Amino acid sequence: MPETKKRSFFSQKICRFCNDDQSKVYIDFFDIKALKPLISERGKIVPSRISGNCAKCQRILTRAIKKARNIALLPFAVEH
Amino acid sequence: MRSYQSVLILKPDIDEARVAVALEKIGEFIKSNGGACLKIENWGKKRLAYRVKKNRFGIYLNLYHTLESAKVSDLENKYKLFDLIIKYMVLRLEDDELERALGKESETEEAASANGDDKAEKKTETKKDS
Repeated sequence: MPETKKRSFFSQKICRFCNDDQSKVYIDFFDIKALKPLISERGKIVPSRISGNCAKCQRILTRAIKKARNIALLPFAVEH
Repeated sequence: MRSYQSVLILKPDIDEARVAVALEKIGEFIKSNGGACLKIENWGKKRLAYRVKKNRFGIYLNLYHTLESAKVSDLENKYKLFDLIIKYMVLRLEDDELERALGKESETEEAASANGDDKAEKKTETKKDS
């Protein structure tokens, strides 16, 4: 069962933005609490294969993160 | 006429009176160009994720307004020339996004007032008990 092994290694494939009633998903660019966990230590966007978000929400999310970067709420790059 | 959201970052070292003056100025400009300020939020002083014009902090303002679409470039130019603003972003909002943004605060207000009522009730209850 290679797949289950993989699943247990990565986090569960559950989109954290999709809601049950299938209504439109909104992600605010100024809602940093929601965006912070989806940013790596370096300031990169975490890929959906790791975060488990669905493709649609990931697209909305990247747009939100890029807006937040533009207005200095999130970093473009974190230097070490 | 479309609805827009402007996020402005002001210099960190100015006091609230000057923030209010700046807001008034921007509001007047929007009004004179046929728009209307729908909602103004002050997010307060925040740490910037990176340096902007040598500033590490900034005062964030968030405006929801309507404006003639031809006047947006004028507004952006105004922001650019405004010496207190160190960074700005103007976003076009779709109708559902605007509704959501405007509806949000009323909900939170209602919730807050409801909580306040609850607390008041609780207080009265405890008083009765004592």
